[in-house]
Order: sequence, then C-alpha cells, then structure tokens
Amino acid sequence: MILDNIASLKYFYPEASLIGTVIVLIVLDLAFKGRRGKWQAWVALAGLAPALVFSIDLYAGGESGSLFTGMLALDSFAGFFRILFIGASALTVLISVISSDTSRGENQGEYYAFLLMITLGMFLLASSMDLLMIYLSLELVSITSYVLAGFLKGVRRSSEAALKYVIYGGVSSGIMIYGMSLLYGLAGSTNLMEIYKALSTASPSTEFALFVSILFVLAGFGYKIATVPFHMWTPDVYEGAPTPVTAFLSVGPKAAGFAVLIRFFYMAMAGPGPAEGLWAPVSDIGWPLLLGLLSAGTMTAGNLIAINQNNIKRLLAYSSIAHAGYILMGFVLLSAEGLKAMLFYLVVYLIMNIGAFLVVIIVANQLNSEEIEDYAGLGWRAPFLAVAMTVFLFSLTGIPPTAGFIGKFYLFAAIFSKDEFYWLAIVGILNSVVSLYYYARIIKAMFLVESSEQPRLKIPPLHTTLLSVLVVPTILFGIYWAPLAEFVARSLEFLASGF
Amino acid sequence: MELIDYLPIFILLIIAVLFVGGTILVSHMVGRRKYGKEKMSPYESGMIPVGDARRRFSVKFYVVAILFVIFDIEVVFMYPWAVIFKKLGVFGFVEMMIFIAILLVGFIYIWKKGALEWA
Repeated sequence: MILDNIASLKYFYPEASLIGTVIVLIVLDLAFKGRRGKWQAWVALAGLAPALVFSIDLYAGGESGSLFTGMLALDSFAGFFRILFIGASALTVLISVISSDTSRGENQGEYYAFLLMITLGMFLLASSMDLLMIYLSLELVSITSYVLAGFLKGVRRSSEAALKYVIYGGVSSGIMIYGMSLLYGLAGSTNLMEIYKALSTASPSTEFALFVSILFVLAGFGYKIATVPFHMWTPDVYEGAPTPVTAFLSVGPKAAGFAVLIRFFYMAMAGPGPAEGLWAPVSDIGWPLLLGLLSAGTMTAGNLIAINQNNIKRLLAYSSIAHAGYILMGFVLLSAEGLKAMLFYLVVYLIMNIGAFLVVIIVANQLNSEEIEDYAGLGWRAPFLAVAMTVFLFSLTGIPPTAGFIGKFYLFAAIFSKDEFYWLAIVGILNSVVSLYYYARIIKAMFLVESSEQPRLKIPPLHTTLLSVLVVPTILFGIYWAPLAEFVARSLEFLASGF
Repeated sequence: MELIDYLPIFILLIIAVLFVGGTILVSHMVGRRKYGKEKMSPYESGMIPVGDARRRFSVKFYVVAILFVIFDIEVVFMYPWAVIFKKLGVFGFVEMMIFIAILLVGFIYIWKKGALEWA
C-alpha cells in the first residue's frame, strides 16, 4: 500500500502534534517572556501526550504501508520506536526540570522546543525508507543536538562540546552522503526497496563499489550510534553537554541510529533468507562480518578506556560506547531473534541509563561535582540514592535480577544460535567482566570508602519519586519481562523487500 | 562495468598528477628566483593589502547569514510554486500558506528576540 501525500496525512498525527507543540511553545515563550516557573516543561510534556496517544493508536491499528509516496514507512517497527522515543523525551523533560544545569537561566522555551524537534527528527529517522529522507532526518536530529550540547552558553566545556560535535558530525554526514550518491549510482533509485531490487540483480563486478558505498554510509550511522572508528566525539560531548542532554543523547538519538541502521541494512542490503525470520545479504560482500568486527572493537575500546575515567559522565560515555557494541551483536545475525534482542536491550538501556544519569544529576545538584571520588560515603549520606545507583550499575553490567541481565541474556542467546559468530559472543562475555570492574569502582566509592563525617543530603521528594519510577522497572523487568518481550516481538513486523 | 573499464580515468588521473607535479618541479629547478617586497606581499585581487586577514568578526554576521539562508530557501520554494500555481489549485495554495505561516512564526520569533538588531 503506497499512499499519496493527502492520504498519508492521517497517519502523520504523531509527528504533526509534535510540530504543533514546538510552534505553540515558541509562541508562548514570546508571549510570556520573563515569566518565572517551569511552565515550558509542562507544555512540552503536554505536547508529548497527544503524540503518545496517536502513536499507540497507530501501533494498535497495525496497518502497514508507505507514506508520502514511498518516503516514510508505516509499520509496527516505526511504531515501536515512536513509543520508545516519547518515553525518552518525557523522562528527559522531567530530569531537565530537576537538573541545575538546565532548569535555570533564560531560553527555557527554546530548550524544550529543541528537545521536541530532536524527537520529531527521531520519529522520521526511524520510519524513513528513502536515502534522502534518511539524510534529512539524520541532520534534523544532529543539528538540534549540536545546539543542545552547547546550551550552557557561558560554560566553556559546553561550547567545546558543541563545536567538537559539529565538526565530527559535519565530516561523517559528508562521508555518508557521498556513500549514498555512490549507492544511487549503483542502484538508480533512492528508495530502499528499489535499491534492494536493483542490487539483487546487479552483476558481481559492482561488489567493490557497493562495499565502498556501504563503508561510507556506515560512517554516518556509526557516528550516530558511536561505534568504534567514529566514537571520538562521545566522551567530550557527553562530559561537556548539560547532564540531561547527555542522558538524552545516550538513549534517544542512539536508538534512532540503530533504527535507521536496521532499516537500511535489512531493507536495502538483505532479503528473504533460507527460513522464516532469517535474512540473507544481497550480495557476497560480507557486511555482517564487517559489523561484527565493529561490534567487537566498539565494546572492547569502550570498556577498556572506561577503566581509567575519574569523571562519572565520561565513564558513562565510554560505557555507552561499549553498550553500542553489545547491541550490535544482535545486528550481525540477520535473524528476527537478533533484532528482538536488540530492541529489547534498547528499551532496557533507556530505563537504566537515564536512571544512572538521574543519580548523577541529583548528586551534582547537591555536591556540585561529577568526580567519582566525591561519591565517597554516599551510602551513608543518601542511602536511597546510593542503592538506586547500585541497581542501575548492576543492570548496566548485566547482573541478575535486573533488566540488564535479561537484555544481555537475549543478546547472548541469539548470538550463540549462530556458529560463525561464537567468537563475538566470547568477546562480549569477556567485555562484560571488564565492565564489572569499573562499574564496581563507583559502588565501592559509595559504600566502602569512609566519608569524613559529612552531613546527610536532603533529597527533595520529587527527585526520590522520579528515581523510584526508574528503579522499579529496572528490577521488575529483571523478574517479569514477558510483557516487554511480547511487545518487542510484535514490533518486528517491518516493511521488507522481497517478502 | 568491470574495474578495467575505469582504466582511462585512472590514466587521466596519473597524467594530471604528473603534469602538475612536473610543472612545479621543473619551475623549481630551472626558474630564477627574485624576491622583493611587492612579490612577497599577499595577493588581494590587485589591491594593496590593508591590515591582517586574521581578524575577529562579530558573531552577528553568522546570525544574519543563517537567517538569510532560511528566508532565501523560502523564496526558492516559492518560485516553482508560483509557476505552476494554477495547476495546483486550492490545495497548493493552502499548502503554501501553511508553509509560510510556519516560517512567519519563526520570523516573528527572531524579530522579537532581537536577532535582527545590530547593536
């Protein structure tokens, strides 16, 4: 079902309601200039509500097709990511209200407007099925992210983060669009399905050109999800950006990057495989092996460099690089099982990583520090905070009974089902062991290091409530994860070529 | 297309590199060198250079440049729209009005925020 522009509009309500909210936010910001309070945040949350309702409605409707004459995909895969992104944005709005980085100063309206614009970009990114649309929505996400990374105008670190982000982003999206132009030359179309058709009948002699174009396109996607050769920006940007923005970048745009990676490779570069739920690469070039190597390199580099970090935001940045590596393990398998594990892990990662950053925000509010040594004695000074942080860190490591364990379990179960990637599973397990070391360092600082008679911290009840909202699912999905697994399994129906 | 078919392009590439490299090398080896004040001064399209080029620009230039791009693109979209206006009918008109309305909100926003004032 290919819908034209007018017929597509009624499937475009989630995006349209976000656009509307952004405009309303900007206009209200002008009209009520200088009015105190956090009303901009509540307007943003109120705008996410209709987007959520429309997204759930579309998801439940279960229709599939392509919108705007083949630009966007309408399927449950895009629906799943829309709901995930709304979750990420809503949590980010809430932690932005708490954080002293972002809740003060002018331009509050702009901050939330940009946040919603990134969400809009992510919506489009997860559903684009045309090279032009992929590029456009990737830029929408990137450019607004640059602005948010440099949101603390007076802070040197923040400006540095934004500048580095712009330069890395500009170079990698330049390389990506060059790769796309090569791909267009090979296939004669920018539509992913058409590209698959053209490539599956192409002569083997085009393989080299195809390989080069895949490498170039990977530069753009790899930069968004922070895989190894393109990860250099991550620590500096994550450290310099306001903490709520860091939390958002590590779960939102990263998940969007994975969504577009899956859609690009599973739609244009792979077709129906030997059995149900399996894909086969379109030509003999071994892109699954290439991504397997990237995955191994990414998790190893992320984990090894994380060991030496003393700033907790930098540590979590390297940890987020490592997690991109873990998630990529599911990508190389070309099976529905692998995809399911990826999506499951993205949900779990969203909850536990925002949770960990929330603790960082609350501690930074109280102690004005992001150094791990200042977490000393937190177990006595703020017991609930320290226990919550421990839960999130255990979950990030993958220790039962937390959601992170189930997520890793799915990933490893998927990868052990394919003989040729045994080595990757072993690399993954070794890396998990390494990661325990640096996560445990924080826990050790909180509980085992004596604090020199410092007073207990007073944590506002709102902060405790929000913390509980994140701790509960982290443990709950570690014990009873069936509903989430079913939701993920339902979301795997996406438009695919050749089926 | 086999890889061998790209051979002419490759040969052209080699010739181009050799030609440019060769000319520089030969003029470096046999050419005479005379240096004077005029010759060593930076070339500024025939004018006598004034001051240093590495000056700090006001950041306002960038703001104006970015705003210019946005409204420039708006006009770029309006040209083809105007050409086939009659063919598009009411739908095209409404669609363009929505587009302009969104940009108008942006315009009022930057106006009120003072981005258009130089001082």
